[in-house]
Amino acid sequence: MTNLSVSATSLPRRRVLRVAVAAAAVVCTVVACSPVSNSGEGDKSGGNQSAGQDSFGTPADPAAVKQGGKLVIALSAEPDALDPTLSRSLYSRYVFQAMCQKLYDVNEQAQVVPQLATALPTTSSDGRTVTIPLRQGVRFADGTPFDSAAVKATLQRHLTNARSARKSELGPIDGVDAPDAQTVVLRLKQPFAPLLGALADRAGMIMSAKALQSLGDDFASAPVCVGPFKFAKRVPQNSIEVVKDPNYYEANAVHLDTITWRILSDASIRAANLRSGDAQVADSVSTQDVASLRQDASVSVLQSQSLGYQGLTINIGNVDGVGTAPKPINRPLAQNAKVRQAFEHAIDRKALVDAVFNGEHAVACSPISPASSFSSPEAQTCPAHDPAKAKQLLAEAGVQTPYTVTMLASNTPDTLRLAQALQSMLKDGGFDLKINPVEYSSLLDEQDRGNFELLQLGWSGRIDPDANITNFVGTKASQNVSGYSNPQLDTLLTQARQAGDIEERKKLYGQAVTLLQQDDALIYLYRQRNLTAVSKQIQGLQVFPDGVLRAAFAGFAK
Amino acid sequence: MARYLLTRAWQSALTLLMSTIVVFVGVRALPGDPALALAGEDRSPEALEAIRRHYGLDQPLPVQFAQYVERLVQGDFGVSIRTGTPVSSMLTTALPVTVELSVLAILIAAALGVGAGVLAAVRRGRPAEWLANGLALIGLSVPHFWLGLLAILYLAVATNLFPASGFVPILEDPVDNLHHIVLPAVILGTGLAAIIMRQTRSAMLDSLSSDYVRTAKAKGLRPRAVITRHALRNSLIVVVTVVGLQLGGLISGAVVTEQIFGLPGFGKMTIDAVFQRDYPVIQAVVLLTATAYIVINFFVDLLYSVIDPRIRVTGDPA
Repeated sequence: MTNLSVSATSLPRRRVLRVAVAAAAVVCTVVACSPVSNSGEGDKSGGNQSAGQDSFGTPADPAAVKQGGKLVIALSAEPDALDPTLSRSLYSRYVFQAMCQKLYDVNEQAQVVPQLATALPTTSSDGRTVTIPLRQGVRFADGTPFDSAAVKATLQRHLTNARSARKSELGPIDGVDAPDAQTVVLRLKQPFAPLLGALADRAGMIMSAKALQSLGDDFASAPVCVGPFKFAKRVPQNSIEVVKDPNYYEANAVHLDTITWRILSDASIRAANLRSGDAQVADSVSTQDVASLRQDASVSVLQSQSLGYQGLTINIGNVDGVGTAPKPINRPLAQNAKVRQAFEHAIDRKALVDAVFNGEHAVACSPISPASSFSSPEAQTCPAHDPAKAKQLLAEAGVQTPYTVTMLASNTPDTLRLAQALQSMLKDGGFDLKINPVEYSSLLDEQDRGNFELLQLGWSGRIDPDANITNFVGTKASQNVSGYSNPQLDTLLTQARQAGDIEERKKLYGQAVTLLQQDDALIYLYRQRNLTAVSKQIQGLQVFPDGVLRAAFAGFAK
Repeated sequence: MARYLLTRAWQSALTLLMSTIVVFVGVRALPGDPALALAGEDRSPEALEAIRRHYGLDQPLPVQFAQYVERLVQGDFGVSIRTGTPVSSMLTTALPVTVELSVLAILIAAALGVGAGVLAAVRRGRPAEWLANGLALIGLSVPHFWLGLLAILYLAVATNLFPASGFVPILEDPVDNLHHIVLPAVILGTGLAAIIMRQTRSAMLDSLSSDYVRTAKAKGLRPRAVITRHALRNSLIVVVTVVGLQLGGLISGAVVTEQIFGLPGFGKMTIDAVFQRDYPVIQAVVLLTATAYIVINFFVDLLYSVIDPRIRVTGDPA
């Protein structure tokens, strides 16, 4: 959990919220990456919910939980290297959440709040100097002090390590200074609004300088950070265990003795483990199982809409592989935006989500989640489901119907059901969809090589909208698998990246969405809701819109 | 004997080398790229290149192979691309789990299979035989994963008799270890038990109708002694062959069983490594499995002569 929730054990909740709002206001004026409203559908009861509503869970009531206990979480996929510089999977963030705190965190309103920093950063008027004040009296799990030198060492490692996954997230950082033990100053080549969002993720996790020195590239074998728990052991492909860290600065807010993440990739096995009591938490519950779990009196279901999306990417210029200059492709779907618009009009997103996912997921028409602070009416506009119009557009484009399109998709049961539903829907719009299911690793390979006409994939989402858009649709961007290029959009996205004001960024992203929907290189379909089943024996487990399961301050009910 | 051993050792080494090459090339012929699988969502061209460089994947295939073999002869299996853990340490954690699971499964299967087979042969045409045959048919036809799911549903979730997943090393807590592993071992052993039962039954029927059994009976030996000392001993030769041949099937069964029960063994490691295109892990696993096959076959051959002294091991062609 966040720094905020820790404080919630000692401060009245309302005061905590006031602090958060004040902090948010500060960032609005100084940093340009800041919070506004929440999704408006946040339900904080933590109890069983019906489909389609968010339920993030509530912090544990210290009077109602026991001290001690071993929590077992059934996890759907294996985390990769437990090294904040190298980590690239969502699941490692689950484990980091308990043992590697960050300069900033995200709260349930998808707002950025301080964690190892004491306040949101102050930015100079030219937007190029960012000053971060640090907590005092904090120690790493190995007992060494947490200070600006450690922050500097960590950030420099993020920026210089050859395999770093953080370098691009940190943007145009020119240098890191540590003027005193409690202050860090970042110097930027140009203003970079998404920086705060990055520091609220793995880039902001600070590692012990001593451990970095002794372990180097093997840091993942025995990671040392500041956190409620410290690393105990890992059995590759099976489990990861952490134990309570007595050095943690608010150790009295930690109730559990150990947390074990056990990797069980099959959803029904995870549910069985939850029911048998071998695990108390099961992540990524299948939308097929969730209804029966909601009926179970001993289980509650947490659900939070993600900041990411699932969508369809149309190959309109990826001939030589991702990141290369787009080249024309001789297919109506690639050449004519009208054909792509027809494709979009043929899709009934609501029916899709209802039929395939029992209405558990939310309809999406843009890369900006309604839960994001950067959402606007333009960003939430949805092209109507209109098969007649689809046919008309195809006729205007001079395409013979039924027009055959082949879709590459992953071979998981969920994706296949989605693909079949799409297939029957598209028929009414004049399309004949052929499905080509492949295993996930092959799908990634084919997509990057540009060996596809249409493909289905998604993105788990980040707190700053730039991280959900630019990399996918910017010209020659590293994940622009569509080979899409629109100079006007590029300009808008660069302006939004450098803008100092949230309202301005919001407006720019709204315009970007309008352009995206005209060109339709990427058709957004739905936003996943993270579904987590929790035994009622456990209190204080939370899932936030960043998709990360927070277990560090949970406890067994008395 | 020495000559035979030498020939077998030479053949084994050649087989191993061939399998090393086949696996090395085969794994790389799979579509998909470990760097991509590792980079996942956060991939960028620089990151992919850095990952490829770090693991030597940017080198030409012959160079990669030479480096691999060079490390291999030094006993170094490389580092997992997915987790960064040395493959040798992954093997030392995973191997004992699968060995324990397999050994336990064989013991259970042999006890059940031989027992039921002898019973079915001795009580030919009676309800005991029908029951044994029926159970064997079920054991052969029902897939492991379904049986495993049923076991979890009824023996773990509904009655809480066994844990649904997890593993405790035997040195840490032997009782808890057994508690965790018995159910998967029984599930894994069912198919093999059925095969052993059928083989034992038919071999026993052969033996029971043979001259030496008639002689033994005529000499006035007790029926029990006739069955165990004469008929069964001769029938076991078939059983040993079957167990040897089925060991491979056991390992592939373990893949499924380990996945269902979340056991950190070889099988689970293999599946995950294939999905992640974790080349060093796949190579090590396949190489070890090949070695195991070769060694097992070798010992099965040797065991023949122990059980049936009429079979003599020689280096000469028959």
